[in-house]
Amino acid sequence: MKYKLTHLTEYRYVEPVSTYHSLVCLTPRTLPKQLCQDFTMEVTPTPAEIEERVDYYGNTTHYFSLHSPHKKLTVKTTSIVECLTETTGAPIRSDVTCAEARSRFMNDRSLKVSLLEYLLPSPLIKWDPAIIHFAEDCFQDDRPLYECVNALSRKIFTEFDFVPDFTTIHTPIREVLAAKKGVCQDFSHLAIACIRSFGFAARYVSGYLETLPPPGKQKLQGSDASHAWISVFIPDYGWCDFDPTNNVVPGERHIITAWGRDYSDVPPLKGIIFSSGKHTLSVEVDVIPMD
Amino acid sequence: MLTEASVNLLQTYRSGLNSYDEILDVKGRVKPHWQALFATLEKLGIDELKTRNQEIIDKLRENGVTYNVYDGVDGLNRPWQLDPIPFLIEQKEWNTIAKGLQQRALLLDLILRDIYGPRNLVRDAIIPAELVFDNVGFSRPCADLIMPVPNQLVLYAADMARGPDGQMWIVDNRTQAPSGSGYTLENRVVMSKLLPELADGMYVSKLSPFFNNIQSTVLRLSGKTKEAPNIVYLTPGPNNESYFEHAYLASYLGYTLAQGDDLLVRDGYVWLKSIEGLQRVDVIIRRIDDDWCDPLELREDSRLGVPGLLHAIRKGNVKVLNPPGTSVLENHAFLAFMHNICRYFLGEDLIMPSVATWWCGQPKELNFVLNNIDKLIIKKANRKSKFRSVYGRLLTPKDKEDLKKALMQRPHEYIAQEEVSLSTTPSLVDGLIEPRYAAIRAFLVSDEKGYHVMQGGLTRSSPVKDRFVISNQHGGLSKDTWIVSDKTDQPQEKIILPVTPSYKKQVSVPSRSAENLFWVGRYCERTMAVTKFMNIVINVLNIDRNFGGSSKQEHIKILLQSLTHLSSTYPGFLGDENQELLQKPYIEIIKLASDVYRPGTIASNVSSFLHAVSAVRNQWDIEIWRIVDLIENSFHEIRNAATMNSSNIQKTLDKLYNSMLTFLGVMSETMPRDNSYLLLDTGKIIERILSKLSIIQSNFGVKNEANVENELIEATLLNHHLLVNYRQIYKSQLSVEAMLDMVLLEKTLPYSIVYLLDSLKANLESLPGTSGERMNEAQKAVLKASTLIKLASVQELSQYDPVTLEREELFKLMSEVSGLISSVSMALTNMYFSHTIMQHSFFKPIENDEI
Repeated sequence: MKYKLTHLTEYRYVEPVSTYHSLVCLTPRTLPKQLCQDFTMEVTPTPAEIEERVDYYGNTTHYFSLHSPHKKLTVKTTSIVECLTETTGAPIRSDVTCAEARSRFMNDRSLKVSLLEYLLPSPLIKWDPAIIHFAEDCFQDDRPLYECVNALSRKIFTEFDFVPDFTTIHTPIREVLAAKKGVCQDFSHLAIACIRSFGFAARYVSGYLETLPPPGKQKLQGSDASHAWISVFIPDYGWCDFDPTNNVVPGERHIITAWGRDYSDVPPLKGIIFSSGKHTLSVEVDVIPMD
Repeated sequence: MLTEASVNLLQTYRSGLNSYDEILDVKGRVKPHWQALFATLEKLGIDELKTRNQEIIDKLRENGVTYNVYDGVDGLNRPWQLDPIPFLIEQKEWNTIAKGLQQRALLLDLILRDIYGPRNLVRDAIIPAELVFDNVGFSRPCADLIMPVPNQLVLYAADMARGPDGQMWIVDNRTQAPSGSGYTLENRVVMSKLLPELADGMYVSKLSPFFNNIQSTVLRLSGKTKEAPNIVYLTPGPNNESYFEHAYLASYLGYTLAQGDDLLVRDGYVWLKSIEGLQRVDVIIRRIDDDWCDPLELREDSRLGVPGLLHAIRKGNVKVLNPPGTSVLENHAFLAFMHNICRYFLGEDLIMPSVATWWCGQPKELNFVLNNIDKLIIKKANRKSKFRSVYGRLLTPKDKEDLKKALMQRPHEYIAQEEVSLSTTPSLVDGLIEPRYAAIRAFLVSDEKGYHVMQGGLTRSSPVKDRFVISNQHGGLSKDTWIVSDKTDQPQEKIILPVTPSYKKQVSVPSRSAENLFWVGRYCERTMAVTKFMNIVINVLNIDRNFGGSSKQEHIKILLQSLTHLSSTYPGFLGDENQELLQKPYIEIIKLASDVYRPGTIASNVSSFLHAVSAVRNQWDIEIWRIVDLIENSFHEIRNAATMNSSNIQKTLDKLYNSMLTFLGVMSETMPRDNSYLLLDTGKIIERILSKLSIIQSNFGVKNEANVENELIEATLLNHHLLVNYRQIYKSQLSVEAMLDMVLLEKTLPYSIVYLLDSLKANLESLPGTSGERMNEAQKAVLKASTLIKLASVQELSQYDPVTLEREELFKLMSEVSGLISSVSMALTNMYFSHTIMQHSFFKPIENDEI
């Protein structure tokens, strides 16, 4: 499947902004399952330079800065991404049990070295007994790790409500757990906290999801959204994606832009402004199939 | 009379020792240089030593040497403490120590490049992976800032102490922005001034080569060969604990002292916002920690750093020393692996050992720590953790169990260190020479051959007996550290100030410093204006009281109200209860002098003045600090309202006024006539014009009876320093017209408005960016004000309305000129100081341990 992705971010400021520095992380990664054929970025007002860089995790970022007063800023990225169809479409089978996986992480030195940062707490992901308790019935030592993560993903999907605007990216995980609602970042952070608390490696994946309109209805423009899900390391298999928000195994409708320990490693767009006033933000995302 | 103690200081000291001491060698003999030092001390006598000690305390305070202790009882600005007895190390021993330090620096540089590069240390199992990935100093955005070439670690400081085997041990590493070298230098300067004879019979190594090496390394790194590089010393600002040192070193090394928002990144370069415009920066020596360097990529809530800085470093357009990311080396756990790392990288043993350290993330080590907890100090591996070091033996049984539990739960977060008994060294404590535990900080800088070690260091001794507390934050004594040898023919150390390259005429003035200098001038003058006029009013009150001036009170009322106008401390004598206040004016007068929390009072102005002075402390030399010290003393006096009354308040006011006047005097005698001076002087002139106009307006805005007006004329002339002149010309004839002619229009009188306006005009013409063919807003306003004054007719100004008695012309002119001069201040702010815009991040900080 081939997609055209557009991501339009617009900031409006009450007072003129004199200086703005920004870091953008919106370029789809090129991976065995996904090919980014084209990427363009338009910024208005036009910056003197846009600097591309590959970060520590291999994600592509862009830096730009603006130095003349402006009251509106738009960043529009357009990408063409080809997602390769799974060979079978059949679910992954892995029989490595939780106990075995845990002991492999602890005893296989090279495995541990490459996974340690995804096993440890990270800036936005820490855990407490309540979080461990929540996930306890999903993780049993003698069951396959893959199944257990799936069970956790299903549990979050069933027990939590998707409620936009209830949380911000700074809402602590335990509050999300207590309220049983949030959005994809929250569910992903919670899932990662649970998985790491049991000694397994998990990372945060940021990207897009093509949404399908209700049957018989026309798809609305700008109705798609940036999305987040998780990836878990299954020994002998490798990194394996799960989407606790939708309880699906991410396939070709999930397009990956970046991964890291948690959201703080890969915010899609962050910036430092010099201004005295407030701002409003609007984001419009479209994932349009091209076939 | 000699007491027994002073007959033999050395013997007395020796008899009080109960652990091994710096003065003794391994065989228990007194080392020759200590013997010499004690002989000198003996000759000097303990009383003289005490006197010198007091002189040192005074000198340090006078020089404004401070170490700010957060939440200290007496607030910020704690004076730096220096023990008059130095710490001695013989050159031969020091040479071995220096080799050990050089090896250590080399190793840390190798570790740094490995961690941000191939990570062979982890891959080959020399260090556990936790030392990288569970290390808060491991900064992923900084990974590509560390270049794969030697000397990424440019500045390095190591804390050392002498272990029981007589060897020096490394206790801790400072790798991101090491502090202390400036205090070390100041210690030496003060010691050689106040206790020069202490070095009799020995040769003390110089400190200056270290600073020369910093300069040449920085010059080399700047990549500039033909033109002068622009080097910035980046400080977190006046509230930082070691701000004194930042300002001191910046001016010693000849670099521009700047704060984060004095800098900006644009087109991939770093620029200094100066009053001359943007200036490209080549090298930044930073005194802010890694995390705070760039709010875009590191801590988003940092106001100390520069957004985009990492980008500029990556482009190779600026060098930052040390590069952000170096705090990775400050993790305590490295000490446990240094031996293996040394064998791995260099194939040799450590020259200088580290204090025995165990990282609890390994089962065997954890077990050892749990079983020997009483002999150990437990720390978190990550320095930034809020966890304070714990002495195992000092724990209650319950706390010990809790700690053990914590260790077992998260072993990899902890390290343990042997609690070694350290050496003691002679210290002057309460007038006696007593043994105190000590540790030394050594300083290194990379040079073309490797690392240069400062021939000296910062020794800190524990303020309490039998316990080892060396952190300055907890209050410790510092010592000058002497590397000594017998080459007595060598000259004594003299500090040689580095020669500033002549091709750079003027150090840039960052906009923030410019603004502070401007306000130093304004607050200084504002304080003096209120003080002087208050004194005049008090004189009038005294005459009235002493000589039965009960006849007419009107002039007193007007003068008191003028005082309220002048200081803008409304309602004051103009309020509803003014009758009561006018009856007992001293209540309000004392408040006007002492209430630091009420804007406009003398105390509040002095406080603002001192604040502005310390914000640009690198601008002042020692002479000026001494005056500032006097002003600080007066400040404390004037704040003390309880001790002030009508008969003694003038003494306090005079003292303050005179020290402020001295400040201005020293300033105008010594300051180079550069932009710094022009701004300070401009601030002073603006304030002076405004205060003089205010008095004229409130005294003569309304016509009064002749005898009242005569009193007011006298007071006004006094306020303009003109009464004597006036009398010489007009004898005892007091007239408003003659007075106005003098205070407004007489060109030769430095306090006349016309003179002040001409000086202001000249200053504005000399400031940068104002010499073009067009006048700027500030110049236009001054021209207009000056023209208005010069065209004014004193006859017309003296006219008054027969009914209302108002002098409308005078009132209008004074208001208009005041408005114009106030607008000059605004215009200057817009032209040179525009810092007022706040920095925001869309993304909030992540610092808490919240789950």
